[in-house]
Amino acid sequence: MQFGMHIDRTDGRAQRRTAGADRRGFCALLAAGAFAAVALPPLTALAAPEATALLQRAYDNWRSKSSKTTTRMTIHRPTWERTLTMKGYSRGMRDALVRFVAPPRDAGNATLKLGNRTWVFNPKLNQVVKLPASLLGQSWMGSDFSYNDLSRADDVLRNYTHRIIATGSAGGHKSYTIEAMPKAGAPVVWGKQVVKVRDDGILLGVTYYDQDMKPVREMTTDRIRTLGGRPYPAVLTMKNLAEPGKWTRLETREAQFDIPLPDYLFTRSNLSNPRD
Amino acid sequence: MLLSLAWRNLWRQRTRTVLSLVSIAFTCMLLVFMLSMQLGSYRAMKTNTLNVLDGFAQVQPEGYADDPDMTRFIPDAQALAARLERVDGISAATPRASAFVILANGETSYGAAVIGVDPAREGKVTRLPSMLSAGRYLAPADADAVVLGDVLARNLGVAPGDRVTLLGSAADRTVAADSLRVVGLFHSGIVQIDRQFAQMPLARFRDTFAMPGGANVIALSGPTLARVNRALPEVRAIARAKGLVAADWTVLQPALRDAITLDASTSSAFYASLVVVVVFIILNTLYMSVLERTREFGVLLAVGMRPAPIGRMMWIELILMAALGSAIGILLGSAVTLFLEGYGIPLGRNLGGLMAEFGLPSRLYPHLSPISALAGPLVLIAAVSIGGVVPYLRILRLEPIAAMGAA
Repeated sequence: MQFGMHIDRTDGRAQRRTAGADRRGFCALLAAGAFAAVALPPLTALAAPEATALLQRAYDNWRSKSSKTTTRMTIHRPTWERTLTMKGYSRGMRDALVRFVAPPRDAGNATLKLGNRTWVFNPKLNQVVKLPASLLGQSWMGSDFSYNDLSRADDVLRNYTHRIIATGSAGGHKSYTIEAMPKAGAPVVWGKQVVKVRDDGILLGVTYYDQDMKPVREMTTDRIRTLGGRPYPAVLTMKNLAEPGKWTRLETREAQFDIPLPDYLFTRSNLSNPRD
Repeated sequence: MLLSLAWRNLWRQRTRTVLSLVSIAFTCMLLVFMLSMQLGSYRAMKTNTLNVLDGFAQVQPEGYADDPDMTRFIPDAQALAARLERVDGISAATPRASAFVILANGETSYGAAVIGVDPAREGKVTRLPSMLSAGRYLAPADADAVVLGDVLARNLGVAPGDRVTLLGSAADRTVAADSLRVVGLFHSGIVQIDRQFAQMPLARFRDTFAMPGGANVIALSGPTLARVNRALPEVRAIARAKGLVAADWTVLQPALRDAITLDASTSSAFYASLVVVVVFIILNTLYMSVLERTREFGVLLAVGMRPAPIGRMMWIELILMAALGSAIGILLGSAVTLFLEGYGIPLGRNLGGLMAEFGLPSRLYPHLSPISALAGPLVLIAAVSIGGVVPYLRILRLEPIAAMGAA
């Protein structure tokens, strides 16, 4: 800890962490693991699929009306690794509740996201704390995801322009690589995102570039399996490209989609007094 | 003999010599005073910035300065602090731990750096415990107490007696959470500190953050920054034996170091041009006198003196003049500096406020040291001495007959 001018260093430090941790763009993923690949007609049916439409449909697929998931999160560091289990609920694109259930020392910690507002619950203090917007770029539960990843799921749709830069095939489907460039003046943190999607609306990967167009982190779909009756990116890994050896893997174990969820789930009182 | 000749020659042209002496003396006086001012303000900046929170030096785990991760810690911090206090030049040492956290009061929350301190020792190392604007500082008996910067407290909407919630990452990677009672607010005048810092008892910090023991750093203090810097080799040796490193002020305050380096290099350019101008004026005067005295040198050559001793005599005249002028300048400059050292130079309200941001008092005190008193004049004497080669070479080329016939 240094002070006075050294605060610059504190900021720099925070900046560094932010670079590693500030993620946006694909959320419900995390929040609830709620990426539903709703069965839509394959886009291959279209003669020349348009980039934005591809992304839009992919996101629409993931954004089931609601979801309930059980996910294991493995945080890997060069010298240690730990695994947490969480239950997630999502409603639409912007609301999510995540509650950790294991290991015991982490159980009970929960995060609630309603639109742009984020609260965390700590069982030891039995208190809810609302997070300041300035800290949403910080690491979430020590992982390579940030609180921002829990929100702004459709950021890449709303604030970026899209262009197909490559096509290929994956798992018997056609795949598209879409370059997303920020719109002028849009409040974005990434210089560019490159998203790979399958024609049936499965996310295959996202590479995040900084303002200097250097790739800084990369999320890949490691495994697609049938969950809740649909093909689903069941294992996702977020890698920190600046610091090799650091990654976080999300493995969705159970999932139900488009189920009715009571409104009380997404309230602050339910965050501190769980009824779920 | 050359020396006494040179001395006598100097006073044959009394007016010219006195004028040259005055210009040298004035330049030296200026150099001494300005350098003292500059070094004095650097010293004040360093001291007043460091002694608020950092300490004059720290012992840290290797790599902590670049990546202040809580899991880099010093296991036997108390014993090591006691050992460091026995080093000559170190008056106090205190263990500390720190973390970046979220402090919250109801719906309001802010990011802050919280430092775990030993309430009994912290005040011997830094001034923050004495800069309270409300309430009191931490006491050894405190359990769940915290002191906040006054701006942070205002932002959070808390006052002494209220509780704040702390959330962060513990050493075992779990969530660290605590509820603390605000006992006091500090006001350092340095906005970043008042807005972003909090201190809590180290023992409580260890519990909250599940630290297996010890501290992240040991902050050191001494009678002066210079004394602590002189003690650093010994501190470093003690640290190295434990696999730790010593961080001096440049590591603790790299921005301040850069600011000082930048300022010093721009002002050195100014000093250099001052010295160059004065040296050329003096050399010009001297060269004129060599030309004027060509006939005199011709006579000396004719009576059998070799050109080299004549040249050396001229050279000695030059050095004598520079040395005498510098000595007068050093005396005058030191006198002015010493007078102002006791009195200080008020900066005025606007500048004073700006200086407070850098941890400076509203009066600047020059600081006379061997370096500030001698550096400028020595450079000037050296430059004049080197420049003396020009008239010397001219004298070597003199022929007796031609020289005696010169105008």
